[in-house]
Amino acid sequence: MTVRRWILGAVAAAAVGVLAATVPALAHHSSAPFYDSSRTVEAQGTITKFLYRNPHAFLFFEATEPNGQKVEWQIELGGIAALARNGWTPDTLKFGTPIKASGRPSKAEGTHGMCCAKITKPDGSPIVAGKGVQDEEPPK
Amino acid sequence: MSTTISRRFAVAAACALVVAAAAGPMRDVAQAQGTPPAAAKVPDLSGVWDGTNRARPVNSETVPWGKANFPELTERGLAYQKIFDEALAPKYDCQPSTPPALEYDPYFMEVVQWPDRVIFRYEKDDQMRTVWLDNRRPTSVDYSLQGFSVGRYEGDALTVVTDHFVFDITGFDDYNGIPSSSQKKVIERYWREGTELKVTVTVEDPMFLKKPASYTTRWLPAPKGYHLILWDCDPEASRAMVKFLPPKYK
Repeated sequence: MTVRRWILGAVAAAAVGVLAATVPALAHHSSAPFYDSSRTVEAQGTITKFLYRNPHAFLFFEATEPNGQKVEWQIELGGIAALARNGWTPDTLKFGTPIKASGRPSKAEGTHGMCCAKITKPDGSPIVAGKGVQDEEPPK
Repeated sequence: MSTTISRRFAVAAACALVVAAAAGPMRDVAQAQGTPPAAAKVPDLSGVWDGTNRARPVNSETVPWGKANFPELTERGLAYQKIFDEALAPKYDCQPSTPPALEYDPYFMEVVQWPDRVIFRYEKDDQMRTVWLDNRRPTSVDYSLQGFSVGRYEGDALTVVTDHFVFDITGFDDYNGIPSSSQKKVIERYWREGTELKVTVTVEDPMFLKKPASYTTRWLPAPKGYHLILWDCDPEASRAMVKFLPPKYK
């Protein structure tokens, strides 16, 4: 699924108030040099930090690998102007909240980054009720 | 003597206040009409405009510079593009976007028309550009990241010419590793089509581009009551993703 489909999905979900935390586009830079669009990774854990800042916000969460090792994942989100327009605030994702995320993994060896991610509760249900101003006219 | 000066000052100040109060509505009318010196017709471009993905596709490696309009680079341009290292792009240290990329960033902007200038305020990077309509010219110390802009109304459009840019390693766009030089010149033509604001942006830079290159795009009216959101770029967040980039150079 492409980023744009994610966005359109987010917009549609926002219109009916059942938004899973789907990430606005990385308009500040290309995702291609940083993230592998040919792969999808999924991880589950609890939020350790939500960096609600521009140019892009970041969500950190701690997950346990199959070998029992704990790792901290870092999800790159959109800019806060875009997030705010979709109803996000600095308090949207609180410390300790359990989440499940799937997205493109970072390319640099030994890193645990993710972009273009879909973020839900561990059971797949939405964790953010969104609203937006971007649901009035589709892009041409 | 000092009493006389004080009285004269007080009288002058009172007169100034009366004149200012009387001129207030007139000034507002003039601003609403946007009457520049010796201009006949001024299009109403003012307002807050939506440049998000509601109005147009989000920028990327192929937007707004795609197959149809991607510029032909000079030998120097190709060489710079080849050695370009994403990790040193100054945006990762909060350096703002510049024309011709700034206009296409998927955020809101505001246009304010005054008789002697047009002000463009961008949500992206908290940038503000002033377009002078009073025939002033830049001096040799007016080089800057956003350059020096002059403009004129032509028919139903505003034409803006910006030069005096400083060298910018990503001054052409955010995605293709093409720099811009102090010879960069950006010509923008803004006009209204119904409720939309449209622009054609043309960039010349003989150091890096063989020929001028152009794109046309649009903004939609912002939702009623929308105010630009503070950007306030954070250096930590700005460089936080660079560790995910496999290094090009050690």
